[in-house]
Amino acid sequence: MHIFLITLMLVSQISPPSCVTSYDTPNDAGNSITIHWTLSTDPNIAGYKLFRTQQGQEPEFLSFLSPFEKQYLDENVKNKIPYTYQITAFKVVGNDTLDAGSAVSNIVTSSPQWFNTKRLNVLIGIVIFFTLILYFIMHARRGKKLFIRRIAGLDAVDEAVGRATEMGKPILYVPGLSSVSDIATIAAINILGEVAKKTAQYETTLLVPNRDPIVYTVAREVVKEAYTSVGRPDVYKADNIFFITDSQFAYAAAVDGIMVREKPATNFFLGMFWAESLILAETGANTGAIQIAGTDSIFQLPFFITACDYTLIGEELYAASAYLSREPLLLGSLVGQDYGKIVIVSIVILATILMMLSAKIPVLNILKLFNIG
Amino acid sequence: MKFFEILGKIDRKIIFIILAVVVIIPLIKPFGLISKASSRAQSVFDAVDAIPAGKPLMISIDFDPASMPELYPMLTAILRHAFAKDVKVVVLGLWLTGMGLGEQALATVSQEYNKEYGKDYVFLGWKSGILPVVLGMGEDIKKAYPADNYGTPLESIPMMQSIKNYRDIPFFISLSAGSAGYETWIAYAQSRYGLKIGAGVTAVSAADAYPYLQTGQLTGLLGGMKGASEYEFLVKQKGYTNQFSPASQAMDAQSLGHLLILILIVLGNIGYFFTRHSSRKEQQ
Amino acid sequence: MQRTIPLALCLGFGIFMIIQFFIPHPVSNAAYDIVLKWIRLITIFALVLGVGSLSMHHTTKIRRKITGWQYSIVTIIGVIVTAVIGLVGGVGRGSGLQVIFQNIFIPVNATMFSILAFYMASAAYRAFRARTKEATILLIAAFIVMLGMVPIGSAISKRLPELAEWILTVPNTAAKRGIIFGLALGSIATSLKIILGIERGWLGGGRQ
Repeated sequence: MHIFLITLMLVSQISPPSCVTSYDTPNDAGNSITIHWTLSTDPNIAGYKLFRTQQGQEPEFLSFLSPFEKQYLDENVKNKIPYTYQITAFKVVGNDTLDAGSAVSNIVTSSPQWFNTKRLNVLIGIVIFFTLILYFIMHARRGKKLFIRRIAGLDAVDEAVGRATEMGKPILYVPGLSSVSDIATIAAINILGEVAKKTAQYETTLLVPNRDPIVYTVAREVVKEAYTSVGRPDVYKADNIFFITDSQFAYAAAVDGIMVREKPATNFFLGMFWAESLILAETGANTGAIQIAGTDSIFQLPFFITACDYTLIGEELYAASAYLSREPLLLGSLVGQDYGKIVIVSIVILATILMMLSAKIPVLNILKLFNIG
Repeated sequence: MKFFEILGKIDRKIIFIILAVVVIIPLIKPFGLISKASSRAQSVFDAVDAIPAGKPLMISIDFDPASMPELYPMLTAILRHAFAKDVKVVVLGLWLTGMGLGEQALATVSQEYNKEYGKDYVFLGWKSGILPVVLGMGEDIKKAYPADNYGTPLESIPMMQSIKNYRDIPFFISLSAGSAGYETWIAYAQSRYGLKIGAGVTAVSAADAYPYLQTGQLTGLLGGMKGASEYEFLVKQKGYTNQFSPASQAMDAQSLGHLLILILIVLGNIGYFFTRHSSRKEQQ
Repeated sequence: MQRTIPLALCLGFGIFMIIQFFIPHPVSNAAYDIVLKWIRLITIFALVLGVGSLSMHHTTKIRRKITGWQYSIVTIIGVIVTAVIGLVGGVGRGSGLQVIFQNIFIPVNATMFSILAFYMASAAYRAFRARTKEATILLIAAFIVMLGMVPIGSAISKRLPELAEWILTVPNTAAKRGIIFGLALGSIATSLKIILGIERGWLGGGRQ
């Protein structure tokens, strides 16, 4: 009987969770409080009940929580209002439910933050990178000569335009299928300006079909300005720069039709492309055109490399504007980019070595410092 | 020598015709080349198989008709598996353009197993705002989805009475063709609420999902049409269905297509080498 | 003036969006939402320009009876009919627009997409020649991956799918990540040049 009573008493007792702390959730827009607690030592609890009390009001039940949860994010709070929290462990014994409440947490108010500290690593990276680029732009401004390696696809632009002029056939320029907010499209538009200057000088027809209406308006202005800048506004034909459709495969079909009918001597595929890339490139290859492609889409690069004569891979597309114009400011930014890459590769190698060593010396785990992993 | 020149310069119209024949024949008369299941597909299968009868499986349709050939067969195979095991199914999606496909799959497969809407499966549909949906369901599904796709309040749907949030869902599958997709579910639902997630993706993006498999954030992965055919094979092997398996049939066509391309590449290279050899000889 | 205002707007909004990224405060989020709404509005107005260009391009072809002008008639009829059906009948389930979408648009899109298979075969046949050492390595890798990804590969050898997967997950992923690093830095540099007005090609014409 004694043992039975003692057992019943032990089973009826339940230890509450402890060390309940609450704090304003960091790096957010406010209206959020995080609550932490240490789990109850009782292994048989069914779960926890979370209560919130707004100053001067009755406690309010918030949520049931599983026995393994140690943290809760309350996103239904108002800023600058003080709250406290209490966690109650509960378990079912027979027909009864036993509760054990923790001590009430500290008073906490939520508020929005003005700086997201989790993004500090991004800010440091940006500062380093911007400094490098701006340094080399200043460097170039002072007249220093900067070395840029040969990019075959860009060297071939003159040859490609010349070929079309000799054959009396048009040049087709596809500035990609993305919108103007895409960097690849902006790079393509920059190259379009340079190509348009050459076609203006040689009076070669330049066809620019567009998928995006905004890109169409920008391309039209770029080509018009290019023709004007070399003194040949009379040769400019607005009809040659046109919008087709914003449907991907309808656009591809239309451009294929242009290639088969007009048989351009040169095709430029520069910008962002998706599944239609091979459809365009292969049709162009079969019309016998010389093809220069460039995209930052890593999935489409293999198709362009297979079907085109020259391909600008990734950032070579972004470098095209600097390469073709040879403007010192633009070249300076390219060199800054390369030094940025050196910094990144050095950090990656160093971090890899430190992480390998951190297995033996835990303090070397620098990834934790930068909120990674 | 002329023969080798021809080998290196086969007209592409002939290539197209041969490819068309090679792809059409297995679609009409399947060979039944069985896709042995990879460990990744097996993991997804085992996770669904482990769901007790009466408990729910949640499927998110994060693809559109463009990815239908690869991901739709995965959806139907998973639904057949779940219905055969009397597992309840909750279907929703982060892509509006995929909702028609979800409805279609549920309508077709539920009939095969005499499953009743509201009792055995529910279609929640699409809601605007990705984060409110993904995070909201972690607290209360009824807050994120007050009603199903047809406007019926969730509170009045029998099977939703016992499903409050992610804690009541033993397994979740995201069939994704891009962003928003399985990465969104991992970043918010899995990391915050511990939801067990499997994924089905297009072949092109399967390699990008491997790191999540390695870290354990994904429990299994179905990659492309091959992954779909592997799952169909597993479902058939266990006797859960004897329905037509579109992905497996398509794999026959894909296998022969790949084989033809490889043969063409070999022939092209033979032609190239012999032509180069003979022109060098002539120069000498 | 014509170039100063766009450059000033570019600088202002560029710096604002960079700063906004680091500020979680609701004021910052509200401003971001407003900017996104404006982007959507501008895009819609640009669509009007696009449709105008499309109409002018095709009516010019019809008027001058340029080769293929009959297809321009089809295009214009298609645009008008679809727009009218959508405006009159709505876009809901069972509407005329949905019928056009399901029965014309989707099958035609799928047909164009399926052309890829044929083009891949002809492109591979034409381009995959072992002209150099690198081309030969590419050829062998393509062989292994193509065979490893289909059941025939595992029928030939159990190691083939494993080798194919290794090629995809190790050297392929390493190369992709290298390109992505370069792209990321290139994007940042190009964005900075555009924000600071160093890169002005997008404005049209020269860099004066």
